[in-house]
This record gives sequence, C-alpha cells and structure tokens, in this order.
Amino acid sequence: MTTGVTPPADARGADARGADVQGADARGADAQGADARGADARGADARGADAQNAAAQDASAQDAAAHAGPRRPAWQRRRRAAARFWRQYRTHRAGLAGLAALVLCALLALTAPLAVGSDVAGVTDAPGQPLAPPSGRFWLGTDRYGRDLLGLVVWGSRVSLLVGLLAAVLSVAIGAAVGITAGHFRGAYATVMMRVTDWFLVMPTLVLAVALTAVLPRSLGTVILAIGVTTWPTTARLVRAQTLAVEARPYIERARALGGGHAHVMTRHVLPNVMPLVLAQTTLMVSSSILTEATLAFLGLGDPTVVSWGGLLQDAREAGAVSAGDWWYLVPPGLAIAGVALAFTLCGRAVETVLNPRLGVAR
Amino acid sequence: MSRADQHGRTARLAAAGVAALALTAGLATPLNPAPQRAAAADGKKTLTVAVAQSVDSLSPFLATRLVSTSINRLMYEYLTDYDPGDAHPVPGLATRWSPSADKLTWTYTIRSDATWSDGRKVTAEDAAWTFTKMMTDEKAATANGSFVANFREVTAPSPTRLVIRLKKPQATMTALDVPIVPKHVWEKVGDFSKFNNDKSFPVVGDGPFVLTAYKPDSYVRLKANQRFWRGAPKFDELVFRYYKDQDAAVAALRKGEVSFVAGSPSLTPAQAASLKGAKHIRVNDAPGRRFYALAVNPGARAKDGQKFGDGDPSLLDVRVRHALFLAVDRKTIIDKVFQGHAVEGQGYIPPRFSTYFWKPSPDQKLAYDPAKAARLLDEAGYRKNAEGRRVGKDGKPLTYRVLCHATDPNDKAVGQYLKEWWGKLGIGVNLDCLDNVTDPWLAGRYDLAFDGWSVNPDPDFVLSIHTCAALPDTPKDTAATDNFICDKAYDRLYARQLAEYDPAKRADIVQRMESRLYDLGYMNVMAYPNAVEAYRTDQIASIETMPKDAGNIYGQDGYWSWWSAVPADSDPSSGGPGSAGVIAGIAGGVVVLTAVGAFLALRRRATADDRE
Repeated sequence: MTTGVTPPADARGADARGADVQGADARGADAQGADARGADARGADARGADAQNAAAQDASAQDAAAHAGPRRPAWQRRRRAAARFWRQYRTHRAGLAGLAALVLCALLALTAPLAVGSDVAGVTDAPGQPLAPPSGRFWLGTDRYGRDLLGLVVWGSRVSLLVGLLAAVLSVAIGAAVGITAGHFRGAYATVMMRVTDWFLVMPTLVLAVALTAVLPRSLGTVILAIGVTTWPTTARLVRAQTLAVEARPYIERARALGGGHAHVMTRHVLPNVMPLVLAQTTLMVSSSILTEATLAFLGLGDPTVVSWGGLLQDAREAGAVSAGDWWYLVPPGLAIAGVALAFTLCGRAVETVLNPRLGVAR
Repeated sequence: MSRADQHGRTARLAAAGVAALALTAGLATPLNPAPQRAAAADGKKTLTVAVAQSVDSLSPFLATRLVSTSINRLMYEYLTDYDPGDAHPVPGLATRWSPSADKLTWTYTIRSDATWSDGRKVTAEDAAWTFTKMMTDEKAATANGSFVANFREVTAPSPTRLVIRLKKPQATMTALDVPIVPKHVWEKVGDFSKFNNDKSFPVVGDGPFVLTAYKPDSYVRLKANQRFWRGAPKFDELVFRYYKDQDAAVAALRKGEVSFVAGSPSLTPAQAASLKGAKHIRVNDAPGRRFYALAVNPGARAKDGQKFGDGDPSLLDVRVRHALFLAVDRKTIIDKVFQGHAVEGQGYIPPRFSTYFWKPSPDQKLAYDPAKAARLLDEAGYRKNAEGRRVGKDGKPLTYRVLCHATDPNDKAVGQYLKEWWGKLGIGVNLDCLDNVTDPWLAGRYDLAFDGWSVNPDPDFVLSIHTCAALPDTPKDTAATDNFICDKAYDRLYARQLAEYDPAKRADIVQRMESRLYDLGYMNVMAYPNAVEAYRTDQIASIETMPKDAGNIYGQDGYWSWWSAVPADSDPSSGGPGSAGVIAGIAGGVVVLTAVGAFLALRRRATADDRE
C-alpha cells in the first residue's frame, strides 16, 4: 500500500479481509463460475442489480457457496438472501425495537397531512392562547403562537426525518464515491483525496456546518448540504479500506485481465461488495444527521418558517420557556429527537452486526 | 448619531455572530465568579445589571449603541439633561442658556462646582474643545457629528461662559446629547477613530460614576463619583455584567446574582409572566421609547444620483406599499407576538413623547383591510394568476425578501405572520434572517426589512435619518440614512422644524413630517414595544423611572435610574429558589442521556469488542 494508510483504516482493512475468510473464496468461485460460462456480463449484471438489494450481499455470497452449482435465477436467490437477513436480524431484540419505532415514526410522518394537516403550522389561525399548559384540548399545550404542540411535533417529524435521511444519503454518497475511487486508483490521486478527507476529518463538524449555513441562504437545502458535506470523511475512510480489501481478491485481477475497465471494476465488483458497509453506515449516519439538523435549527440557523423539532426547541428558548418553566414546550420535541436518533442507531447496529460475518460470529 | 440606538443594523451586530458561542457563554457565565456582589466582604454596595449588547466603543466620539451611550452618560456630564418627569431640558453642566435675538448665537453659563475625577475643575474650555474637535476632526464626528454640522464657531471667553455661533438657527441647542470630555486628557489622543477609551483606568470623568474596569463581553465596572455635583450615587459600585443568553440572565436574577435585567430588547412575555409571581422581584412594564417598523427599500441611491441595490421595482408604486401594510393586522401582532407588552403603531414617534406624537386621521389611516389591499393591488396592475399568485407586467410572481434580525425573536414571529397574511394576498415572502443585516442593508439588497429606533425627547435625530442629506455620497460610503428615503416635501419640513424655536410651532411641523412619512408608506410603524425589565427588591430598595410614572429604567435619556437607585438593607445572600421545574427537567435530561449512553456503550461492547 503506497498511499500511507493511517492505522485505523489499515486495521479496518485487515478486519474486513479477515472477515472475508468464509465469504471471499465463495465469491471468487461464484465469479469464476460466471466467467467460465463466458457470461461475465450476465453475472456482473446480476451483481449490479444486486446492489439495489445490497443488504443481502454478504449473506448471498455464503448462500452461493452452499449452492455452488449452476446459478439459480437471481430473484430467487435474492429472496432467499433477504429471508436469511431477516432471520438473523430478528434475533436482535434491540434492532427490532428500533425498527418498530422507526416504522411508527415513518407512519406518523407520512400520514401527518391527513392526521394534523399543514394548517397546524399556520400562525394566523392558531387555535389556542400562547403558551398554554397541556389540557384536554391541547394534550401537549400550545407554543408561543398558540399552535397545538402535539400537532407541531407530529408535523415537525416530516422535516426532521427528511433532512436526516437526505443529509445521510448525501454524506454517504460523497463518502462512498471518494472512498471507492481512492481505494481503486491509489497513487497520487488517492493521496490527495485522503489528505482532503483528513482535513475534513479534523475540522470540527459543527463549526464547519454553522459556517456554511451562515453564509448560504437559509433553507432546508442549505441545512442538508451543510450536514452532507461535513460528515462524509468517516464513510470515505471505511469504504476505502473495504475497497482495498476487495481489490486484493483474485477475481478482480481476473476481471481486469478479461478487459474490465476502471468503471467496470468499481461499479460491478467493488461497489456491490462495499454496499453492506455503506448501508449500515447510512443507517447510523441518519441519527447523527437528525441530531445535527436539530442542533443547527436550535442555534437559529435553520429556516425559521419551517417547523422542525430543533426549530421548536429554538422557538422555546427564544420565547423564554426555559426560565419560565414551560416544560411542555421543550420536552416533547427533545424526546422525539432522542427517540428517533436512538431508533436509527439501534437499527444501524443490528444491520451492521448481521451483515458483517465477523461481528455476527461474536454473538 | 447620538443616543438613538438603532435596534437594527449596527446595534444588532452584537457578537451573537455564532449563536453557539452565545449559548455557551450564557450557560457558562452564571458559574463564573468574576464580579461578585461584594456586599458582604468589604461593605461595598454593588448594583449588578445583566446586559447582552456588546460595547462598540467607550469613546463618546465613536459610541452609538444603547449600552455604550448609556455608560458614557454615566461617565460624562452633558451641557443639559432631560427632566426625569417630563423630559424638558434641565441644567447639566450648563446652569443657564439663552439665544441671541438673531437666533444664531447661544451663550451657556457653565457651573463652577463641577470637577473631574482627577481633581481638576470643569471649565467652559473643556466644552469648547470637545465641540471644536468634532467640528475640525472628521474622525471625532463619527457618533455625534450631526449636532455640530451647523456650528460656525465655539469659544470659551471665560471658564464659566461658553459661546456657540451657528450658521443657521438650530432648535436642538438645548438637547445637545454630546458628552463633554476633559481637554487635558483627550488632547493627548492621536487618532480618534482608533481610540476606544478602554486602556487606562480609572477613566477621568465628571458624571455620577467613574469607569474603573472593562473586559469586552464580560463586564463593565464603574465606581461612584463622590465628587459628583448633583450628589454621590447611593450605590458604591455599578457593574454591567454580560449574559448573552436571556434565560441565563433571568436565572441569575432569580438567584440574586444580578440586581437588574433589562433584556435585549426586553424580557419575553413568558419571562415577564413567570417573574411577576417571584418573591423579591419586581417587573417594570413601561411604555417604551422605541418604535418597531417595517421599512421598504425605495430603491437605494447615493447623493450623486447613482442607484444601487436590488430592491423590487414594484415597491416604488405607493399602492403596492399601502396594500402590503393594509394586510398587516397590527392588533394581532400586539396580542400574539408582544402579548400585550406593546402599543399599536400609529405615527413615527411613540405616544410617550406626547408633544410630537401624531396619529393618522380615520380616512388617512391604513387600517387592517385585506379586501382593500387586494383591490389596490388589482388597480396597480398586479392581478392573480391561475395559481393565485400576483404577477407583475413582466409575468413574474411577486415575491419579497424580508430582512430580519436572527437575534430578535419578534422579527421571526412577525415574519411568520407576514408570510401568511401576504400569502393570502398572493404575494410570496422569503424571510431572510441574518445575524448581520448591516451588509445587505447598506448595499440596498433587500425588499422589506424590520427596523426600529429608540427615540430621544428631541426627535431631530430620528427625523434626520430620512432626509436626502443623510444619503451616502457614493454607493460605497456609509451614511446616516436609515433606508434611503429621499423626499423633497419631507426635506423642506425638516429644514423648517430645525429652524423653528417656538416649541408649539415646531411640534406642529414635526407632526406634518410624520404624516408625510406615513403617506409615503416607506416606514410602516407596527408597534411601540414596551420596556419590560425586572429587578430584585431585596437589593434595590427604590429606583427612579423616566418618565416618573410608568417609565423605563434601562436606557433612559439620562443617568437618573442608576444615580437614584437606593440599596436595600436586607441581606441578599438568600438567593431565590430558582426554577425548580427547569432544574428537575435538566437533571432528568441528563439521567436519560446517561442511560442512553450507557446502553449504547454496553450494546457496542456486546456486539463487538474490536469495532474500529
């Protein structure tokens, strides 16, 4: 490795390589089989398609090892892999709890337009008195405009989840792109990219995000961008290590020998293999993105006309609810943020454990 | 610029810059033991005031913010003061004053019982030097230059006689809000634009207090001037302590760490309501001296005629401006946003200054009437399209950028209402909340903006900022203009009121100016916010408000409040109970977070002991 890999990445690379003890050979065999039948394109296609269902990749590799014979139709294999994934996931109680919480949250957010409607965020027709404590009519009291806080917390989930998901996807996409290309090309390019990554890694994320949101116009897009472009370096490091491990496998060399170009190797062979990692990373990143979004909104850097959990906390602080002891203004959005972040973390951990054979063995 | 602080722009630059810093500072300061109430230790009576606004400069030649000009008031005596009762001019450094028959020469008699804190006598020579310096050195004219722009010559024929010769009659000669500084100290100053008067302490002055220490955004400390000619203050020490977070300041007041909280610009309704029931705390809710307005960009331009900025051209149509304001329900703003701690806006000058207060006649008034607003917009040619959006002749839908101060919760709240009210009219609103609004403001890159000024007993300054003369020389210069208004009729009236020595006639002209300003629709006053402040009655036995009944304490037109404050005898050591609920809440939050952290840590260990 000529690129001067720092110890943690190396360790990760070693980990990943070690983890592949069961899987790598099987995959090699799989690829070989495909190559042997001169159906590299088809095999690769299947793999590429697999990327969509990448959660099942590692499992499917083992699966394929068990049935090393002629390839079964891809959809059947995928279904079995998914079932296998689910069987393993089911054994993680915390993961299940997180998933249940997430499904509940997603349902609430998706049905919010029917359940509470966008009118809940309107200030001119606010139904109650400002800062009224919880009552039969307003279960969680009202905010400084007299709006129903329960409705606002439900409505706010839409923005918080949306920003959390999009920011995480953006962040992981940047990280994966940088990681794969840096792992694939090595040399000067990798050195430069990794130094850029290091630079972003040592910059305090929040300060950078605050600076970005302060400069750009205030909108949801800005917040997503600010979170996305400041949190990708960890993903880049992880993905690069995994890429190095994957590229060391013999079938990659074979693919190259058969004329596979850079793009082919990266998208058809490396990407599907780092996808499990990327997926787990995304799940984990969502919770930190939601927290960062809340932080930025709380610091007054969000769009003030959009209702989000962090924005509600900021409103509460500005209205003086903290010193006035109006707890109902502070507690519900705070608990909602903590709850959703926790649910995503639990899910992410469980997915990671299932998809990483080595982690799975420990259980 | 004088005492009128701009509740917008410059004044708001307050280091809030990164709110995070403000937040942490706010949380940290209560733990910081820096300037403790020294009551017990050495028997000194200290009055501690919680403030948030950063000091721009302690030099009276540069200071324009409310906090800085208030401190300058305490450090240096002016020629005349305002009566705390009805704000008429009363003797300050000058005991008597009179104009000549041609109205162009004013003679002041300077008192002989005033001394600087270093023992030297205060003479007319100090005053003459201060004014002459501002007239001759442009760098010394930054803050108060407008007062001396019309001066021909200032002389001191004897230590007790000051003579000012004018180019044209000037009605503000008994309201010269200029701190008089000691010549023997200030003549050594080189560059007035760089000297901030915060290096060598104590700072020589002749006001009721002497500045003894200053640390930016931490504290300003002053000690009582025992030689003050009006009598020494009752408190031995006055400390302005910084709390960037208003909730932290309120908590400090509850605990007795500070004696007084002014809020910036005032306590929120929730804070006022919760403090009203607290023991040993008195909430002072008084009509304020500020107005809170919606300013329209009339097309920014410089004196040389050059236009700049990018204000929406549709706003040049008076019907559009009136339509926008017709759709603003001022009553709702008072009821919901200020929750009764404000008075509905009428003319430019708040009702507290009854001489100059003006309100529109019923047929002139732009009362809340969305239907009329829609009609006006139709007449102006901005009709609704299929999607219900108003479109101009160019076919583009109307969308206005509204500049708001990210540091002012009221701006954001009112902005939300504007968005919905104007949305119903078919006009889009982009609420542009910034920590630093100065840059887009001076460059004219906005359509509408939240604006507000504190008004002095003499309204000359707040009127002057809307004259053509206040426009910048070139687009690059900064000038006194507020939002680039330049109207010939208004300017003529302005010149007339400045030259009018008869108070009743002058008030009449000022009211006609306000009427003109109202009709123009470039400055739409929505409210006059109250000054909502609170103090501990077990630390301050009594304190003078201005005006005497129903007046404010912080940011007065004078030093009356702090000079008159009487310390309470009771032992203040027993702090208030604090807000138990909040503490419990925070404790609960910490417990939950710790539990979650521990849980995650355990899970982590369970799932993998060698995760990277």
